[in-house]
Amino acid sequence: MVDRKEIAHLGDLVKVEIDEPEKYIHQVDEILKYFEGLDSVEFQSYKSVQKEISYEDLREDTCEEFLVDGKPLIESLKRDQNNFVRAPKMI
Amino acid sequence: MKIEISATEYLSLVRSGSISVEEFIAKTLDHVHSIEPRLRAYITLDADNALDKARSIDKKMRTGEKVGSLLGIPVSIKDNICTAGIRTTCASRMLENFVAPYDATVVSRLRQEDAIIIGKVNLDEFAMGSTTEFSCFGPSRNPWNTDYVPGGSSGGSGVSVSAYECIISLGSDTGGSVRSPASFCSVVGLKPTYGLVSRYGLISYSNSIEQIGPLGRKVEDVALALNVIAGHDLRDGTTSSGAKIDYVADIGDGIEGKKIGIIKQMMGEGVDGEVISATESAIARFQELGAECVPISLDAVEHSVAAYYTIASAEASSNLARYDNLRYGYDFASEGYEFKAYVSKARSRFGPEVTRRMLLGAFVLSAGYYGKYYLKAQKVREMIKSQIENAFNSVDFLVTPTMPILPFRIGEKIEDPLTLYLLDINTITANLAGIPAISVPMAFSSSNLPIGIQILANSFEEKDLLKAAYALEQTTNLPGVKI
Repeated sequence: MVDRKEIAHLGDLVKVEIDEPEKYIHQVDEILKYFEGLDSVEFQSYKSVQKEISYEDLREDTCEEFLVDGKPLIESLKRDQNNFVRAPKMI
Repeated sequence: MKIEISATEYLSLVRSGSISVEEFIAKTLDHVHSIEPRLRAYITLDADNALDKARSIDKKMRTGEKVGSLLGIPVSIKDNICTAGIRTTCASRMLENFVAPYDATVVSRLRQEDAIIIGKVNLDEFAMGSTTEFSCFGPSRNPWNTDYVPGGSSGGSGVSVSAYECIISLGSDTGGSVRSPASFCSVVGLKPTYGLVSRYGLISYSNSIEQIGPLGRKVEDVALALNVIAGHDLRDGTTSSGAKIDYVADIGDGIEGKKIGIIKQMMGEGVDGEVISATESAIARFQELGAECVPISLDAVEHSVAAYYTIASAEASSNLARYDNLRYGYDFASEGYEFKAYVSKARSRFGPEVTRRMLLGAFVLSAGYYGKYYLKAQKVREMIKSQIENAFNSVDFLVTPTMPILPFRIGEKIEDPLTLYLLDINTITANLAGIPAISVPMAFSSSNLPIGIQILANSFEEKDLLKAAYALEQTTNLPGVKI
């Protein structure tokens, strides 16, 4: 049974501040109960899906210039008045 | 001059000089401006550039310069496909002012052939939904009854094509997102084989199942668009390197002697009576055209919705982890926040359906549950692929109703996500198996709401699939929407 604590934990895992966990409890619980139907499937020899691509089919990994309106891509980033990309403090 | 024409009619009128590209684009834009307050298909219009482009194509034609094969056809693009210079919002408050620095491969290919991009059209946020009600800009409205949903997630594509706001649209289809609005808006919509069309520049939701696909008012228009967008792309390693195919040539070959399987599990419980009648009528038409129709059972379908939503949610939670609002995004200063608190606060702008799917994705991938949900979902997926392969050993096509029910009222099901998920039961099989599927308008209900028929074919058999769809289309004589 999904509860308020579980929703808060999942919100923490996906890094989303959940303002109203109650809104999600019932719906997420109902959907997960539906997913549990997968438990009743009798599998024979089905394997999980894996696609192989041979090394020869991969393209060369080459460096290409990427310009936006004639300027380097980095100039399209969100920057502050000092021209830095600003991030919140890490510690 | 009429704007309610097909792509092939448009090309012949422009080629003969009966109309100019500028005239047609100007008239289409006037129509869009007058009708948009009622329908809300477009998120962003690019009217000035569209008119400039139209004039430049007219000039090229006058001076005998080489002109691309699409001769200025007006196109709308789902707003999760990147367009340099026009914002790409994903109908999300996280990206509402985001302008991509490059064109998606499909957009470059359309531009190379001189298609004109009129604007970007509405969707459920990040393509997660089946009605467009989860767009941060509000729902688009079904042109056949504006109180009803147009389907989704590519609802803006379906509406803009149906209501003559463009001739062709590109949508994306992860679990039916091209075919659902095609069915609900009475237009044609194709989900190509996984790997036929490049996903470079499609903002990722569930990479292992989604494909870009065209919508048009006629099957031939969809084939024409596919001619342009299909093919290998060095920028998408999952694209196939098969030879280029002309999907328009021989489209009228018919389906005499073909064998069609009717999927039993998609014709029973929970399917609207009028939808069943329309499907039975399609089966009768196929038989009259010389095809043999037989019932076929795919019992793995029973578990397809659970498997699909497990896989799609898992991939969504992983794909959407990149939106931290630091390098691009909306204006929200980071001062005073510790890193995780900032990112969590910034990401609270995601809407309810996207948040719900990220929570589900985190759950099914977490320690202790991975084997119970995700791994089993992958096995069901393989089971579906295997059953589909077996089916195509004995039949050429599979046929089902596209949607099990008729379009419904806006707001009617929005608080019941599981019910909305279950509506995808007929469409998700093609995504899980990677095969192509098309929705063709078939009939109208007693309440004048559209009903579409879905045809599925084996991987990379789009040419035959389009022939079957064309053959069915020739047996119907359905009206266009009255605007």
